[in-house]
Amino acid sequence: MLGKLIKHEFRATARIMLPVMGALMVLALLANLSIRGLTSGLSDVPVLRILFVLIVVFFGIAIIATIVMAIVLMVSRFYRNLLKDEGYLMFTLPVSAHELVWSKLIVSMVWFLLTGLLIFLVMGLTALNLANTNLEMIIEQFPSWQEISQFLREAGIQREVITLICQAGLGILLGAIVTCLHFYAAMSLGHMFTKDKILLSIVFFIGISFAFNLLSTAYGFVGFGLSGMAEHWDSMENSGVLSSFNSIAWHGLVISAIQGALLYLATILGLKKGLNLE
Amino acid sequence: MAILECRDLSKRFGAVQALDTVSLKIEPGRVIGLLGPNGSGKTTLLKLANGLLTPTGGEILIEGMAPGNETKSAVSYLPDKPYLAEWMKVRQLLDFFQDFYADFDRDKAMEMLLRLNIDENMRIKEMSKGTREKTQLILVMSRKAMLYLLDEPIGGVDPATRDYILDTIIRNYNPEAAVVISTHLIADVEQVLDDVIFINQGKIVLESSVDQIREEHGMSVDQYFREVFRC
Repeated sequence: MLGKLIKHEFRATARIMLPVMGALMVLALLANLSIRGLTSGLSDVPVLRILFVLIVVFFGIAIIATIVMAIVLMVSRFYRNLLKDEGYLMFTLPVSAHELVWSKLIVSMVWFLLTGLLIFLVMGLTALNLANTNLEMIIEQFPSWQEISQFLREAGIQREVITLICQAGLGILLGAIVTCLHFYAAMSLGHMFTKDKILLSIVFFIGISFAFNLLSTAYGFVGFGLSGMAEHWDSMENSGVLSSFNSIAWHGLVISAIQGALLYLATILGLKKGLNLE
Repeated sequence: MAILECRDLSKRFGAVQALDTVSLKIEPGRVIGLLGPNGSGKTTLLKLANGLLTPTGGEILIEGMAPGNETKSAVSYLPDKPYLAEWMKVRQLLDFFQDFYADFDRDKAMEMLLRLNIDENMRIKEMSKGTREKTQLILVMSRKAMLYLLDEPIGGVDPATRDYILDTIIRNYNPEAAVVISTHLIADVEQVLDDVIFINQGKIVLESSVDQIREEHGMSVDQYFREVFRC
């Protein structure tokens, strides 16, 4: 049933995200043509110059709008599809609350990933265009993997750097999941009440943020000894400093995972025990 | 075994006691009218049967089980409000119901849509209130469920369509199933009811067959309801 929920969730979200992403690609193309125009003789014509600049500005706005849209869609799908009238259909399907939450979470993650990749792509191409160069030249000038690997090996930090890159990737993924669950849990808890549901959802969102920040900071300084660690860095080798970064990152990832688990449980609790559709 | 059973079922919303120690049994093969004035607890009872609310006391059982995934496969529920996503086309809704309900009969749904002139390419947001209600009811009645819980199924439709809908309810339900119709439009539904449950202020006031009311009180259910709930 999870597969079917995911299929229908994609159907519901693609109708918004695909046109938004399509519009971003068209604007990226126009912006890149405008950049070429600005660096050519065409920019001598004032009207064209203004037009080109406007298109580039719109492109910048479109990048931000696409990110905002992915987040707004993640929040609104959970709210409208589960906590408003559509919830009457969703919660009478023979599926569990876990499947409902996972379907929303997985589909949101896919859209976040696709949005991230698209923005990386259009910004990368624009950067190449601005540098008036092409991909082949960049690849030629970029050090090969062997060269990077040799440099890291000689510096004795190969393992630490690879770990750090993996941790960064994992951190981004986990961060996105925790962000989604933060919204889900706040809405789910806020809608357990009969009145002022939206206001209470906002209160829960802020309350959860505050509690998590407080606990993470307390753990970092008191439990993990973060404040004392930096004092030793001066006397450490590069690999030692990077190792301590790895260690901090692992703790950060574990804290995020715990936060995610708590938020997930809160979301399920709200939906299973306190479902209160109007 | 009763298809739906409530044992001392209670539901409280803050200071409001929506249902107060309700006990009842609904057997298969019956069409039951759940009748009561506004705010009497009809919708709360149906929501509890669907697991949309959790009881504050007692229990509610569908085929002997508390509401959950298994009972949701057996119950076909029509809420008293528009609950279909507005952006969806009828065709997409048919796909949706077919995907999630093994007992959904797409051909039957298509036949009813055709009969009521509802285009499968129409979006919910393009429909009038009455057409939305008809579409919802068609989807719900196209399932071969064990228990149909219909909350105000004819409230927003014209009298001609009302007849068609009631006829559809009677023609389509399986004799092993039970149909619970919650409404205050009693005169319209009376013709299809076998039994009635009168509910007021969260309590069951009367459980009786329609024939019994006619024989014992010499009046229709609608007249008897007006008598019992006279303001």
